[in-house]
Amino acid sequence: MQKSKKVLLLGHFGVGKTSLIRRFVSDSFSDAYKVTIGVHITKKVVELPSGTSLSMILWDLEGTDELHLIRNAYLMGTHGVIFVFDVTRPATFQNIQRDLDIIQEKVKKVPVLVVGNKMDLVDPADVKRLLEENDIQSDYMTSAKTGDAVNEAFLEMATQLDI
Amino acid sequence: MMNERERLEVLKDILFTDDRDYADKITDRIVQLEQILHDRNKLSGKVDPIVSAQLEAFTKSIPDTLGPVITATLKEEIKHHKDEVVDALYPVLGKMIKKYIAQEMKVLSEKIDEQFSFVKSAKRKIRSIFGNEKEEELLLSELSMAKIEQVFLIERESGILKGGYSKTATIDEELISGMLTAIKSFVEDAFNKGGQSLELIEYELYQIHIQSFVTHYVAVVISGNYLTRSKNKVQDLIFNFYNKYMAMNLDLVMDLGQGRGEDGEPVTRSDIEKELSKYFGNAKI
Repeated sequence: MQKSKKVLLLGHFGVGKTSLIRRFVSDSFSDAYKVTIGVHITKKVVELPSGTSLSMILWDLEGTDELHLIRNAYLMGTHGVIFVFDVTRPATFQNIQRDLDIIQEKVKKVPVLVVGNKMDLVDPADVKRLLEENDIQSDYMTSAKTGDAVNEAFLEMATQLDI
Repeated sequence: MMNERERLEVLKDILFTDDRDYADKITDRIVQLEQILHDRNKLSGKVDPIVSAQLEAFTKSIPDTLGPVITATLKEEIKHHKDEVVDALYPVLGKMIKKYIAQEMKVLSEKIDEQFSFVKSAKRKIRSIFGNEKEEELLLSELSMAKIEQVFLIERESGILKGGYSKTATIDEELISGMLTAIKSFVEDAFNKGGQSLELIEYELYQIHIQSFVTHYVAVVISGNYLTRSKNKVQDLIFNFYNKYMAMNLDLVMDLGQGRGEDGEPVTRSDIEKELSKYFGNAKI
């Protein structure tokens, strides 16, 4: 039996949420209407080691620097959240704990993965040091451009949703 | 010459005559009881009246013994699951109210039609004179029947598709249900006026009729001339289907409660789609 789960991608403007989805989902609709209603939806069916077939309905919300302004209606019924930040722009992760608190408050008791994107643009050692200095825990460090760790991040979310 | 053992037996015969008779009677009684036990009908004749009496007493005592517990449990369940109760009652109450209003509107509409039918005819004639279309074509287009093209049962908050019915192959139904939910949420959030719901989306030749319930909503894609009378029929179909869907969920809950059912999974998508096809597949609106 195939299950369907709603997964939100959240993060500041320009962190690469849409690029991550494009990398993970090969075919997707035009996202021209994202500017109209602030959301773009794609889907990917993944087969999990447990034998479950999981349909991930990915809601790519328009990037905003103020997460508390996101329409609550889009957050309702969410099963999992992937929070994306840009490793080249400290402004997108400096207040990550506050951002994660807002997310946890709005969508309670769902798995949240933290993903640092654009790793192709930086030296991994520099990023590691920077994150340690800012006491930031990231679950995955990805590059939508090269595809590094993109599938792994989405599959980890799918696995958590399968439990 | 009798030996000592034989003499003892003779002596026992003389002294214990009564006891021997009594032992024989017990033996006979045991044989009779064994026959009753092994004969179903005979056993039934003895046991059934006792069981019936016990059952009758138990049935009579239910209102006194279990009644208060059941009532208290129901009250508690209703108190904590108001949404589900409203969801269950909504189709029934909504249908009754809607039917009454629809009936009144129909009467009013027919009266107006009678008054203005000549206006419509004249308008058609004028359009045919000054336009390129023939009057017959205009008449046909006016009479083009509304048809149900697709139906979706969608979880209201998450936008997850629970089941769909489609006459023709379209783009992914799960994506449609996600986008419909996003559009619906956007409109309701942006123009929120006291909990009102988006009910109709018009898209060139198509109209999407949306009926919201507490936990789910049903979206019906319609082509053709979608008049009020068609709308009433579509609403009836939706309410009937949703009523059935709630009953299916209730059956599942009952099954699980009684140890039937498999693993507590909700009503399956294929079951829902069978019902959608049954209710909307050949419906004339």
